[in-house]
This record gives sequence, structure tokens and C-alpha cells, in this order.
Amino acid sequence: MQTLTTDVLVIGGGATGAGVLRDLALRGIRAVLVEKGDLTHGTTGRYHGLLHSGARYAVKDPQSATECAHENQILRHIMPHCLEDTGGLFVVTPADDPAYADRFVAACHRTEVPVTEIPVAQVLTREPLLNPRISRAFAVHDAAADSFLATRANAADARARGATVLTYHHVTAIEVQGDRVVGATCEDLRSGARVRIHATFTINAAGAWAGKIAALADLRVTVVPGKGTMIAMNHRIVNTVINRCKLPHDGDIIVPIRTVAVLGTTDIAVPDPDVFGITPAEVDLILEEGEHLIPGVSRMRALRAWAGVRPLYKDNDTSDDRDIPRTYKLLDHATRDGVDGMISIVGGKWTTYRLMAQEAVDQVAARLGNHTPCRTHTEILPPGDAWNRSATVSVAGGLQSLGDRLAAVEREDTYGDLICECELVTRAQLVRAVREAGARNIDDLRRETRLGMGPCQGGFCTYRAAALWHETGGDAAVAGALFRHFIQERWKGLTATTWGDQLRQMRLDELITIETLGVDRLPRSLLETGDRDPQIVTDHPAIATEYL
Amino acid sequence: MRDTLVIGAGLAGLMGTLALAEAGLRPLLLAKGNGATHWAGGTIDLWGAGDDPLAGIVAKIAQQPHHPYARVGESGIRAAADRLLALTRAARYPYVGTVSRNVLLPSALGAVRPAALFPATMAAGDMRAGGELLIAGFHELRDFFPPLAAANLRAQGIDARGVYLDVPTAFRRRDYSTRTFAELFDRPAFRAAIGAQLRTQRGTATRIGMPAVLGLYDPLAVVADLQTAAGALVFEIPTLPPSVPGIRLVRIFERAIVAAGGRVQIGSEVVRAEHDTTRITAAYTEAAAREQRHAGARWLLATGGVVGGGINSDHTGAFWETAFNLPLAGPDTRDGWFAARALASSGHPIFTAGVATNDALVPLDGLGRVAYTNVRVAGGALAGADTIREGSRTGVSLATGWAAGLRLAALED
Repeated sequence: MQTLTTDVLVIGGGATGAGVLRDLALRGIRAVLVEKGDLTHGTTGRYHGLLHSGARYAVKDPQSATECAHENQILRHIMPHCLEDTGGLFVVTPADDPAYADRFVAACHRTEVPVTEIPVAQVLTREPLLNPRISRAFAVHDAAADSFLATRANAADARARGATVLTYHHVTAIEVQGDRVVGATCEDLRSGARVRIHATFTINAAGAWAGKIAALADLRVTVVPGKGTMIAMNHRIVNTVINRCKLPHDGDIIVPIRTVAVLGTTDIAVPDPDVFGITPAEVDLILEEGEHLIPGVSRMRALRAWAGVRPLYKDNDTSDDRDIPRTYKLLDHATRDGVDGMISIVGGKWTTYRLMAQEAVDQVAARLGNHTPCRTHTEILPPGDAWNRSATVSVAGGLQSLGDRLAAVEREDTYGDLICECELVTRAQLVRAVREAGARNIDDLRRETRLGMGPCQGGFCTYRAAALWHETGGDAAVAGALFRHFIQERWKGLTATTWGDQLRQMRLDELITIETLGVDRLPRSLLETGDRDPQIVTDHPAIATEYL
Repeated sequence: MRDTLVIGAGLAGLMGTLALAEAGLRPLLLAKGNGATHWAGGTIDLWGAGDDPLAGIVAKIAQQPHHPYARVGESGIRAAADRLLALTRAARYPYVGTVSRNVLLPSALGAVRPAALFPATMAAGDMRAGGELLIAGFHELRDFFPPLAAANLRAQGIDARGVYLDVPTAFRRRDYSTRTFAELFDRPAFRAAIGAQLRTQRGTATRIGMPAVLGLYDPLAVVADLQTAAGALVFEIPTLPPSVPGIRLVRIFERAIVAAGGRVQIGSEVVRAEHDTTRITAAYTEAAAREQRHAGARWLLATGGVVGGGINSDHTGAFWETAFNLPLAGPDTRDGWFAARALASSGHPIFTAGVATNDALVPLDGLGRVAYTNVRVAGGALAGADTIREGSRTGVSLATGWAAGLRLAALED
């Protein structure tokens, strides 16, 4: 068995884990991050992409509101290339309690969340599809965040500073010696090999899966996986983040991000973060609520629905999961459970990932005798590899904008190399994602480049991506299996949202993949080799999300 | 008033219009745009399972009397196939094959798929023939990848090799599509340059598979030139859309329809219709921000299914026929539309939805009575089959389109 020795083991490759890893690296602490899927495979890659202003929590969860407002400013400073400054609005629709608005404004002032009331007429000029019957509107500092890019950038910077990132490494055991956690054993899901990691300290940053990790050390951490379902509409029906001005509830937000607008969300407790489904009824509920914000939205074209699981930490009795505070908790298992060498960081949200990481690392660094101060609030996050930068970073170091990809394609004259026309992904980007970023399957390519996330949902680009994957050295039999795997991955998010034009698109996709390409006619032996295939790790039971 | 109107410009609408025009009527074909012809590979797939498609269809009809094929029978299928073969032969773009034998042709992925009738330019791709294969394409064409196709063929025991050819400098473009390449192959200098490369690359291969982009106007001549230069048989393999074989076929139909006295009007979406108690009397098209009324005595509904645009749906689980608002047979709620696996061999129930007809292809109302006596329905709009899963989509359109046109032509006024 391979053995690694490090100062700190970080479990979880979401925003928090990657943030922790970078913070450790900036303080000169050796660290290894393990993630059972790809980076952002969990909740980070499955949320609506909102950088909170804090206003959403001002009334109900003031501590979260203040944390968000503060971190919002820091993230705008350190990762402008990962954010689009859409701004946000809270609007009072005819369905909302008009008395709430004044409470909302007062709470924003109390929690230091910047808020400005603006005339409704001005709002309707800016967002013409918005319900003309809204009575009041408030501008806040919400923005859209590319959580895929930000997490990768954190990990890349940590790596550049000496940290190790092991994706597709599933923790199978936490090693406890006496009353001390001394590391973990992982299974490399690609090779089946076991890797033992000795660590002076372990940070459990597994989010909704933190309870499962803690249980491996016989520790009890109650995380309530709160499923939130979202719908991506096929274009930006709004260019500003739009919130209902009322207490947080189902279907109260629209986030414009990249080429789409995301309607969110629901909140349903699920027993297991790996097993949940999306029902047409949930989708109908979100659309119905969305009608209050954008009349006619349920007749627009929906691309797909997906769900993420919030890592809500339950340390006391609350009646409704939505009432569990959204702030985070640092659990020191030494003082809490008498087990030294491990802390769990639970709860929180994407916007506060950096702060969570800072507090976790402050505590761990002190125990390791490292007194280097945190620098993640001032140290700019490098924009990542040059090949990705050209496609994502706008001029003059400003925040990114929607037209950046198109501008890059025009500048580099790569129209002829567009592999995914919907999301403007070029051949060069895909080849580099395989060669340099180590994408292991087409779904990894999607997280790296946004391939297949547009209106055709992979109808055209899956064949091309499978072929390019083959041409960069992948086995043809595996390419066929990856083709089929990606179709199924996309399908999971389509069955609840497909009607009208999108249904027509899905039938065209069948015409291409089944009738013209005959993907189902490749002999079964080519598709399913029986043995575990090192390339098709997303079908591994440890990381395959079961949709019921 | 027109004597006949056809709605839909896919294979069913084109076959039906041709039948009507050749019967002496003056059909006007109205369509929003081109049909699925421009998306599909250009082969006529009658029945995907087994070696003898006609035998497969006969067995299916016996088992499922409401299948679209049951409305036309074996003789209807033969008649339609014969007409297509004659039509394309006369246009110097001959389709070959028979209704009783599936030929196995390679796909751009390297899968092997059955087809009954197909352009002669694809004939040398018969995978039952022996010999070493060369699959040749262009880096610039992102709708066809020779190495993957060749590797998958090799894995099935077929000796194949994939190579890329160079686009000569003089012919470079800023962007390329299947259509760009088809236009390049129409130029003798381009095919001479490509032919020379094929000869160099050929090695011991006896057949060369290329993307189906070998010219828009005279693909037989392109294939002949390339064969002469390369010293091997050359055949086409369907690509991702847009489909050059589909574009060629539609062009042939349009010419034949006009020559026989019919008319094809694209850009005219039928949005609603008027009817009396037994007949459709007029339809309205929408274009350039105004409606236009078309009165007609006979109507062929060939608007297609979900993909063709003849069936639309919404999030409440409702779905409807878009031109005449005919009742549709299909799943009751949205929960029942899809199978859990995208590639489930059973297909997805929503894609069997369509217009119910009697044996004469006359549409029925919700109670099973004739809805309109002067309407016939053909192609993807028909209920009762997932034709993509069956490997019968183009076959059903060909046969029902032809039969519906003939029957409508025979209708007494």
C-alpha cells in the first residue's frame, strides 16, 4: 500500500476543502486534499451560483448576513475572474406581505448589509420581464459566481505552493490511535489501489458528507442533507439576481449565470446525500413561484433541473430545516468528543467558504505551532492556466462578463474549432482539459469547460468530445462507454424539465445518437467491459448519485 | 381554393405531394422549415431488427394492428420504395437496396447500423464485404472523426484505419460545416487534391469511407473521381447534421414536385385551421407578422412528431397537434413520459404519442370516430410507434407519405 505523510489531511474537494488547502499552503503547511469524485463533484458544483450580499439572511439569520456581506467584498477583491457583477434586487410582488419590506431594510442596516431602495419604474427598465405589479424594489450586492472555476483556482494555487490534490480518492477508514486521529486510508477509485495518508491533523470538510466521514472515526456529527432543486432556463431571462422580498422560501430566487438563468430552490431533508431524486411536482412548484417574479416563466424553455444537498448542521432542535442557521460551525473533536487530531467544519455556504477555511486553519495552525497569519483575504487568486484565462477573464482585471468567451473566440479566430457551440468550448480547451487538467470522463470535461450545458444538452458535442478524448490517447471502447455515460448523466437532469422545445431537442438528440451514430449498436462488450474500468469512475457506487 | 394542401416538408410530406402532383392535382406544400431530412443520415431505414426488414414489418403488423405500417401493408411499402428508387435514379443520385434486405453500414462513431435503401454513394460501405478499410476525414470537420470510427470498427473485427486529410491552402475557410465541404467537393480541383492524398494514404485498403459531404450537385461524379484517383472504392458515411444527403434528396423532390405541377412553400407555418362538421376547410399560416388564409379541398397532414414540430407540449403534461389541433394518443401525465435510462431499449412513452387514424390514414377524434373526411395523416405525426427505437422512422415516412398522397388523390370531391 502506498503511504503518504503530511501535516494536514483535508477531506472534501468542494469550495471549503479547496479553500482550506490554499490557506494551509499560503501559511507554509504541508497538506493533502482527498476528494471521492472530481473537484466540485458535490454541492459546490450543484448550487445556483449566487454570491450572497447577505440580504437573504438579514431578518432570519443575522450572523450569516453579516458574514456574507463581509466575505462578499473580500471575494470581489481576490477572485474577480470568477464573479460576474450582476447586482441583486429584492422585489415585493403582489403575493408578498408588504409589511415585510420595512423589517427587511431595518435588518439589513442592523447587519451591515448594503441596501438601497430604487424606484420600481427604474427596475422595470432594467429588467423588462419582471412582474410589472411589483410594489417596491431594493438593490443589493448579489453577484453570480462560477463555483467550478473558483474551486479549481483555489486548488491550483495550493498545488503551485506545494499541496497535493487527490481526486477520485474515497476515504474508507479514518485511522485512530488511542484518542487521536492520525490519518486516513483511501481507495483510488480509478485503480482500486489503497493509499494510506499519515497526517498530524485532519480537517473534515466533506460538507453534506461530513457526518459520514465523522462516523468513520466513531464520532457523531449530525448533518441534515437539505436537498435544493434548481432549474436552468435556456437563456438569461434576467441579468440581475432577483429575490422575492419575503422570508426565505421555496422558489424565491433567479440567478443569471453564464448563458442561463437559474430558478431556485426547494429545501427538502433527505436521509442520504447520495440518494435523492427530482420530481415533476417540485419543478412545477418552482415554476409556479417563479411566475410571481417573471410572468410567463413556466412557458419559457427550461434546460434541466438538478439538485444539491446543503450541509446543514443540526446541533439543537429546530422544527423546519429552513430554520437551521446557515452559518457554519467548527467542531473541535478534542474538546467535544475527547478525540484529538481532527476538526470538522460543517454548515455554511459558498459565499463564506474562505472565512470557514480561515477559522479552521487558524485553529489547526496554532496546534501545529505555526503562527503565520492568514492571507487569503488579501492574496489575489491567480486566474489559473493561461488556456483557461483567455476564455474567462475580461479586460483590465474587472469582473468577468458574459461576452468574454465569444470575445476570445473572435480574437483567436477559433470559430472552426468550436466543439460545443452552445457554450463556446473550443477544441484546444477540450484537449488541454484532458491533457493538463486530467479530466477523466466527459462529465469532468463539462465541469472544466461547460461542455454540454447549453440548449442541446450534449446532442452534438458528446460525439465530438468522445472522439477527441480518444484522439488524446483514450481507448476507443472507453470512449464509447463515456459517450453513453454522459448521455445518462445529462438525462438525469432532463426528465423533470423536458417539454415543448426542449422535448423536441431531446428527440433530435435521439435521432443523432441512436439513428445516425448508433451508439446503442456498439457491441455491449465495448460499452461494459465487466471489470472496473479506470476511466469510468463516475459510475463507481461510492460517487454515483442515485436518482430515484 | 386549392384542390390540395400538404403541411410539412419532411420525407412524408414530400412523398405525399409528389403522389398528388403526379395524380394530376395541384398540391401546395406549406411548411415552417425543412423537415427532419436535414438532420438525418439520408438512408431509408425500414426495420432495424433482423436481416429482412419486410419480414420484420409483416411480423410487427400481425402483432400490432395499429402500427403505422399496418395502414399501408407490404404492397404499400414496396410501391413507395419503387417510386423513390425510380425518382432518384432519374435524378442521377440513385438510391439502391431492396425492402427485403438490410445492408450494414458504418456510422461516424464506428457502430454498424442496418439500412434497406441508401444512396449509391454509400453502397461500398457494406460491412459484410471484406477487405481493409480506410476511414478518411478532415480535422476541420468537427462532425466526423475517422480515428474513433476506425477503432470501434476494429473492435468489431473489421480491418479499419482512420486518417486525416489536409485541406489545401487554396481552399481554406474561416469556418467549416458539412455544407462547406460539400461545396468544396463540387469543385474538380479540390477533389483532385483530395484524391491524390487518398492515393498516398490508401496503403492496402480496398475501400475508403469518407464523411457524407461529397458534393451537393453530382455526388456520383465526385465518388467516381475520387475512386479513380485513389485506386479504391469510395463511400460516404453520414455525419452530424446538417445532412448533405438530406439536402440532396429534398432538392430532387422539390424539382420533381414542381415539374409535376405542385408547389413547395417553406417559411409558412400553419398555426390553425378552420373546419365544418366533417371537413377541414382552410388553414392559416403565419409569416412576416401576418396570417394568411389557405382554403383547400384535400389536406395531407405531415407535420411530423415531436422532432418534426407536429407535436408540441408544456409543463402541465399537455401535448397537442399543432396544425389542426387533433386529439393525440399518449401518456396521461408528465410522470409517465420518460424511462429512467436515456438509452432504454423500450424508448420513452412520450415519443409514441401521435394522431390516431383508421386504416385509410383518416384522423380519428377522441371517441374513435372519423374527425375530418378530407384529411390523411402520414409520417411522424402518426401514433403508435417509437420509430427511432424501431429503426423505422424514414421507412414509415416514406411508405405512409406515399400511400396518404395516393389515397387523397383518389378522394371524390
